[in-house]
Amino acid sequence: MSGIDPELIDDCVHCGFCLPACPTYLLWGEEMDSPRGRINLMEQHVGGVPITPEMAGHFDACLGCMACVPVCPSGVRYDLLIEQTRAEVERSYRRPPWERALRTLVFHLFPYPRRLRLLRGPLRLYQHPGLRRRIRPLLPAPVAAMSELVPPIRPRIRLPRVVRARGERRAVVGMLTGCVQDAFFAEVNSATARVLAMEGCDVIIPGAQGCCGALSEHSGRAEEAARFSDRLGEVFTRAGVDAVVVNAAGCGSSLKEGSPLRERAAPLAFHDLTEFLMELGPRAERHPLPLSVAYHDACHLAHAQGITAQPRTLLRQIPGLTLREIPSGQTCCGSAGTYNLFQPDAARELGDLKAANVRSTGVDLLVSGNPGCSLQIASALSRAGVRLPVAHTAQVLDASLRGLSRKALRA
Amino acid sequence: MADRLGELARRFTGLLGSDSVITDPVRLRTYECDGLTVHRTTPGLVVLPTTAEQIAAVVTECVRTRTPYVARGSGTGLSGGALPRGDGVLIVTTRMRRVLEIDVVGRRAVVEPGVTNLAITQAALPHGYYYAPDPSSQQVCSIGGNLAENSGGAHCLKYGFTVNHVLAAEIVTPDGEIVTLDALDPGYDLLGAFVGSEGTLGIATKTTVRLTRLPEKVKTLLAAFESTEAGGRAVSAVIGAGIVPAAIEMMDALAIEAAEASVRCEYPPGAGAVLIVELDGPEEEVAAEYAQVVDLCSEAFEIRIAADDVERAAIWKGRKSAFAAVGRISPAYIVQDGVVPRTALPEVLARIDALSAEYGCRVANVFHAGDGNLHPLVLFDDADPRAGARAEELSGAILDLCVRHGGSITGEHGVGVDKSRYMPRMFSEDDLDAMHRLRCAFDPWNLCNPGKIFPTPRLCGEVPGVRRGVHPLVASGEAELW
Amino acid sequence: MVTADRGLFAALSRVCPDVREATEDDAITGVIPSWTAAPATAAEAAALMRLAAHHDLAVTARGAGTKLDWGNPPRRADLLVDLGNLDGILEHQAGDLVVRVQPGVRLDPLARILAEQGQQLALDDPVGGATVGGTISTAVCGPRRLRYGAPRDLLIGVTTVLADGTITRSGGKVIKNVAGYDLGKLFTGAFGTLGLVVEAVFRLHPLPAACAWLILNPADRATAVSAMRTLLHSQAAPSAIEWDSAQGPPEVAALFEGGAAESRAAALRRSLGDGRTSDRPPPWWGTHPDGTLIEVRFPVGRFSEVLGEIDEAARDHAVAARTRGGFGLLHVGVSEDPADAPDTAAFIMRIRGNLAALGGVVIVRRAAGAVRDRVDVWGPGGAVRLMRRVKERFDPQGLLSPGRLVGGV
Repeated sequence: MSGIDPELIDDCVHCGFCLPACPTYLLWGEEMDSPRGRINLMEQHVGGVPITPEMAGHFDACLGCMACVPVCPSGVRYDLLIEQTRAEVERSYRRPPWERALRTLVFHLFPYPRRLRLLRGPLRLYQHPGLRRRIRPLLPAPVAAMSELVPPIRPRIRLPRVVRARGERRAVVGMLTGCVQDAFFAEVNSATARVLAMEGCDVIIPGAQGCCGALSEHSGRAEEAARFSDRLGEVFTRAGVDAVVVNAAGCGSSLKEGSPLRERAAPLAFHDLTEFLMELGPRAERHPLPLSVAYHDACHLAHAQGITAQPRTLLRQIPGLTLREIPSGQTCCGSAGTYNLFQPDAARELGDLKAANVRSTGVDLLVSGNPGCSLQIASALSRAGVRLPVAHTAQVLDASLRGLSRKALRA
Repeated sequence: MADRLGELARRFTGLLGSDSVITDPVRLRTYECDGLTVHRTTPGLVVLPTTAEQIAAVVTECVRTRTPYVARGSGTGLSGGALPRGDGVLIVTTRMRRVLEIDVVGRRAVVEPGVTNLAITQAALPHGYYYAPDPSSQQVCSIGGNLAENSGGAHCLKYGFTVNHVLAAEIVTPDGEIVTLDALDPGYDLLGAFVGSEGTLGIATKTTVRLTRLPEKVKTLLAAFESTEAGGRAVSAVIGAGIVPAAIEMMDALAIEAAEASVRCEYPPGAGAVLIVELDGPEEEVAAEYAQVVDLCSEAFEIRIAADDVERAAIWKGRKSAFAAVGRISPAYIVQDGVVPRTALPEVLARIDALSAEYGCRVANVFHAGDGNLHPLVLFDDADPRAGARAEELSGAILDLCVRHGGSITGEHGVGVDKSRYMPRMFSEDDLDAMHRLRCAFDPWNLCNPGKIFPTPRLCGEVPGVRRGVHPLVASGEAELW
Repeated sequence: MVTADRGLFAALSRVCPDVREATEDDAITGVIPSWTAAPATAAEAAALMRLAAHHDLAVTARGAGTKLDWGNPPRRADLLVDLGNLDGILEHQAGDLVVRVQPGVRLDPLARILAEQGQQLALDDPVGGATVGGTISTAVCGPRRLRYGAPRDLLIGVTTVLADGTITRSGGKVIKNVAGYDLGKLFTGAFGTLGLVVEAVFRLHPLPAACAWLILNPADRATAVSAMRTLLHSQAAPSAIEWDSAQGPPEVAALFEGGAAESRAAALRRSLGDGRTSDRPPPWWGTHPDGTLIEVRFPVGRFSEVLGEIDEAARDHAVAARTRGGFGLLHVGVSEDPADAPDTAAFIMRIRGNLAALGGVVIVRRAAGAVRDRVDVWGPGGAVRLMRRVKERFDPQGLLSPGRLVGGV
């Protein structure tokens, strides 16, 4: 008995409108690496064809960017389908040993902020150019790919448990610190907390949040995902908040989706930072930032949460800032959670395409609402020899609200 | 057969490289159908060439081994025109997607066959030009497929079909030769005959298309009527006034319901029919025509005008997604495509209503009202085994209706494998024989997309009556053999 | 007349009463056939073809005969089928913007009848007096091709009699139709080598509310070409843009159609800073230059280079070349004095050779034998091998105007 719902498969009328939206179809031009083709593979499996290595390969190659979902006129829930399929692959397909080893490594590392933080020391050493030159050839390809993505390691920032609202309090919110965000982009978290506080929110930041479960969920590890999100739900419930602000797209979309397995996170309302700020309405003064910026739509914001207007509006409200659109902006940058770890070649190609499109805008700064995208695009830009800083939406707002100079963002 | 395909696979791997040849059965099956899913055949072999030379080499090998082959672009066709052969090769052009040239001064673009229809427009837009034919699937359908099907679109009422916009095509002929068909060349209009031949006369490998200047002004309005009859009267009045709108499209209540469920197009509630009229051209002409159209839509209970491109897109959104949207209101449905002389529309629509009641199948109507091209969508529940057959019958009865009114069994989706059985209702044996002569001239072995268009298999045989030996005029020196 | 011939004549008269011996007036590029038959119905035409096939008679079709001197002389010509009696307008559904006609209908009277309903068949008749059938077979077009296209773009259905007498139909009576091969395309420009067109269905257009011409007298060729480019790329959407140097100094005229035609033309006059508007075309509009007639087809973007090449070749070969036409299609008129034939031939070969590199095609339309003897009127042609194969399938006995078309087809 397969865990893939045949009725969801049946919704697909094979019109092909999803093809141009799919990044892997864009790369390889093959039916089986398009949403329509993958649904056909699912159909084959539901019809009794066992999962072959080829089949698993095409499912694994899906970024889960969900660009195909909003463009589907028949309303096919590819998001649900691919999640069910990934779980099915995990359940009924035995991967080759090296793949299993890599997966074990990733899933025992990334969802654990403390383990990630332990890596900071060795990584900082690794980032020394001399050492890197010598060590890199010794690393297995996926590990090398991983190591390339790591941003410069900065001093760790410890956030207080509570950040009080400036001026009259308008709301009390929890804040998700995340795994990668916390370990490698701590300044994004501090910017987020400051922006919320300056806009009149008491920000509650419980410790020991752990992972939200998104990484596991998007890789077919539903039970593991449920464990993580249950724990997260408990932590925030205990902290006494009912609304939680999220500044990482992947975490936000996963937490919003909800799932029967994840009961304890369910009563909480999760909001993306930009969505929350737009609903709250601007109060703090925006200081000018004479910058031209391009906003990158993270798939899990744009396609999964439908959030495209809010970050743009927030950016446009900053005096002096001009916003440009990235050509083919709807195409995934190749980061896609763990994708750049498991599918490094495709991820690199997509990263290069994105970097070229970003470059064509000629902006001073790239803004993104997701740490994975920021890592991915920054590394693609540096491969192409382009020096273009990448910042989180929160950081740009923070700079404007605090009246920092544009240089603060161009480091 | 398996041996032959195995040998071909090895050869093609040598010619194209291993990542361009698909032999794995699970992968092959993803190519089992195009946009029409009722016909499915897993291809024997799939190749993904990147050059015309590769296609020529593949075709040559197929001819040598007498293996049938089928070309496929994005696989969005609605008549099974790209249905593969289990004993044959499927040649997929999706990796040939470079826009080779945008020549603004010469108002043309040169593109590879896998380039999507919309990609040409996107490449030309910065220069103030676009590619006029706009099938509803334009963001995904390929220009190679457009050539095969002679694709139209909502705007072909004013601007014509693919055939009116193709200036030249480099093709691989069914005997593996690379030949350019150019509209400038004297003699038979082979280019015109090739376009719309549904992939049976060769494979386009490079196409030169005409680019059209963006109109100075575009005005789009949505008029809501109580009924399709009232909408139809407005269409007649507009055409009768000597106005050729860029597009004039109608949707009936059921089609509106589907579109509403799919894309929330927010058409006026309670409409029995909506009419989308788009006028374009020089500003003064559009302004005058627009005033006339509004007058002529006097029966409409609501008229909306798109104020900008966003609103224009919103008006079109419902129409363009209508086919797939029907999936939201019915478990299964048949997309029909027939044409009647425009003046016969009211009568034909009334008759379709009656047929719908008679067969107990709901029918949603979406149509290009300006040129009488109907797209009745016959809804049924595929859980009921008899419902499918009933829907199929009704769908056929609608085609009969079209033919009886002097129309056609297909306006833009093509005959393919799906409608070949209806061809004798429109054409006599002699007519089909004449068409087959053209096919034999190109493909005497009947290997290039066989089993499409023609209702029964036909053999070409030798060229009948050709003189054997030396022609008397050649012997006498009055003529020479070419 | 020998006995066998008399027998044939009798057989022909039995299937088609209007048959007579041919005269010099029936010559096809100098070749005089034996008989001329004018069928009154498509069935008669079919019977004639069956008879011809049976007796191995070579057949050439004629409409008004205005372009019978175009193309190669047929290798054989026994029977001229004059389609002039098939001149009925069979159906005009104004609401459908469609007309169904017989091939002998002349464009002029047809236009008058359609105009009564405010409609038009938007085809030009540059030679004058042409029939529908002849226009299809020669694929001739004029200035308004820019907006409306060529005959192949307006022909939506065709009924033909094939070489063996079979009557077949393709296309239909509706504008939008993709059922089966569009054989009408094949017959367009076929010069009667595939069959006789006995019925044609065309899409019509509404007559424009008004027409206005913007007429310019540019100082030189460069100014003219630049003005024409501005017109071509303008959003004022002219229906035709033509150039003439056959009358003397170059003149450019552009046609605007629609209620606001005059004001659109005037706006362009102002932005070009030159010219005058008129509700009438200049006298040369839509006609071919006199003399030996050469047709030059080329990609739209090459207009200036093509004009330059023609001028240069004319100078080098001491030919007085008068050009008329526009983007994509120019006609060149040169001297028809037999003494000039060698120069004319050299001129043609030169432009044919040089324009090929620009994607251009040079066809000799009307020329005396002295020129025809020196150059192939058609030039090398395009997909000639495929055309021959089509010809073999449709006319395996090679009876229909054999050799009249490009490549000896």
